[in-house]
Amino acid sequence: MSTSPAISPASGRSLHRFANPGRFLRLSARVLPFLAVPALLLTLGGLAWGLFVAPADYQQGDAMRIIYIHVPAAWLASGGYLGLAICALLSLVWRHPLADLAAVEIGPVGAAFTALCLATGSLWGKPMWGAWWVWDARLTSVLVLFFLYLGHIALVRAFDEPERGYRAGAILALVGVVNLPIIKFSVDWWNTLHQPSTLTVTGAPSMHVDMLWPLLTCILGFSLGFAAVVTARLRAAVMERRIRGLLLAQAQGI
Amino acid sequence: MTHLPYVAASYGLALLVGVAFAADAWLRMRRAARRLEAIDPRGDPRRNRKRAG
Amino acid sequence: MSLLRTRKGRRLAVVLLGLLGLGSATGLALMAFNDTLVFFVTPGDMAESPPPAGRTLRLGGLVENGSVLRDRRDGKPVAKFRVTDGRAAVDVEFAGILPDLFREGQGVVSLGTLRPDGSFLASEVLAKHDETYMPKEVAEALKKSGQWKPETGQAPPAGTWNTLAPRKGGD
Repeated sequence: MSTSPAISPASGRSLHRFANPGRFLRLSARVLPFLAVPALLLTLGGLAWGLFVAPADYQQGDAMRIIYIHVPAAWLASGGYLGLAICALLSLVWRHPLADLAAVEIGPVGAAFTALCLATGSLWGKPMWGAWWVWDARLTSVLVLFFLYLGHIALVRAFDEPERGYRAGAILALVGVVNLPIIKFSVDWWNTLHQPSTLTVTGAPSMHVDMLWPLLTCILGFSLGFAAVVTARLRAAVMERRIRGLLLAQAQGI
Repeated sequence: MTHLPYVAASYGLALLVGVAFAADAWLRMRRAARRLEAIDPRGDPRRNRKRAG
Repeated sequence: MSLLRTRKGRRLAVVLLGLLGLGSATGLALMAFNDTLVFFVTPGDMAESPPPAGRTLRLGGLVENGSVLRDRRDGKPVAKFRVTDGRAAVDVEFAGILPDLFREGQGVVSLGTLRPDGSFLASEVLAKHDETYMPKEVAEALKKSGQWKPETGQAPPAGTWNTLAPRKGGD
């Protein structure tokens, strides 16, 4: 292939890369239904359970039902960023061919869930706390997370050569990782208006089981949905890159 | 239901985000698959190499 | 070191060193700015290092039981209550509508200024709720059985109630 004078080293390298993404396309086609179908059932089921079946809170009444969206969205905002950072590590250290594409596709989905977390938090804060927004450590650190996502989305698309954008985005993603423990522990380290975590690794959840089960269902459903959307976007991105490579090879070959 | 506007707005936003991203991903995947099919019907890398060389 | 023999190993070492440096720098910065990162000060904090009179700050704590006085002045609601953190307590006065969740024993954060007489004039009051969620029936059962004394505020340990069957009026 590289001996062919009609093909440039760059496209030769990208053709070589098809080996691994090809396996991804075959594998993901089989996995995707097993992510998407349970995601749909669990999310819709969990949300209906939380909205119509689960009891109202003794203090907050029905406003507490916002938790069935707010907490899964918050978990995916942080979890998605961790995924972004792992892709960055795979890209910078191991030069994994799919990691850069995956990072590009995770960015907008993570940003949307972070925005959903901020918006539902606001809708919950107004009736309960009495304010749409306060600058406490938890809310501010999640807002920083949102801006990190936006920065990553802009950065990976800012260069004419995609490789440079991927590199810059990966560095930003890794730098932003310091924000994740700050978000997690902000409610323990500093006085905040936001309450501490209900679900902890060590202690019993300070939530009645009739509310806990729909919440866990929603968390699982949202997580599978996140995985399904990212997988589908990544499949599209791999195919789009292959189309570009083929068109380029055709143009140079003819 | 108490605080109905806030609860309804939250659930509405969640459905909007979910539907929008799922539909976008699905349409993008289908479009890419169709284009790929049109350019390279068998999706065979060797065929592509022959054409390119 | 075998880690540094390969290019991958060297890249990994650079990334890890970078994260270590960044992490320590962030940690030190957060410690240095600790005082400005807190959203509110408690009555105990204020007793230890009194802020200058007239400076705007946020006071947070629990509304002391039996301390709330509601009144009307010029057609507007006025509330007086004491905020405590167990170490000290401060009198707060607020003209305006209190949030739904405001009640005795509940967390509250007030924005305002400390007056020369040591009382606090609030211009905004926010309710702070805890991380406990339970149906009304369970909360009532806990209070009826004496496991949860409203005067002490905090709900009993979660393990003792989070699987209780929420039967209406029964026990």
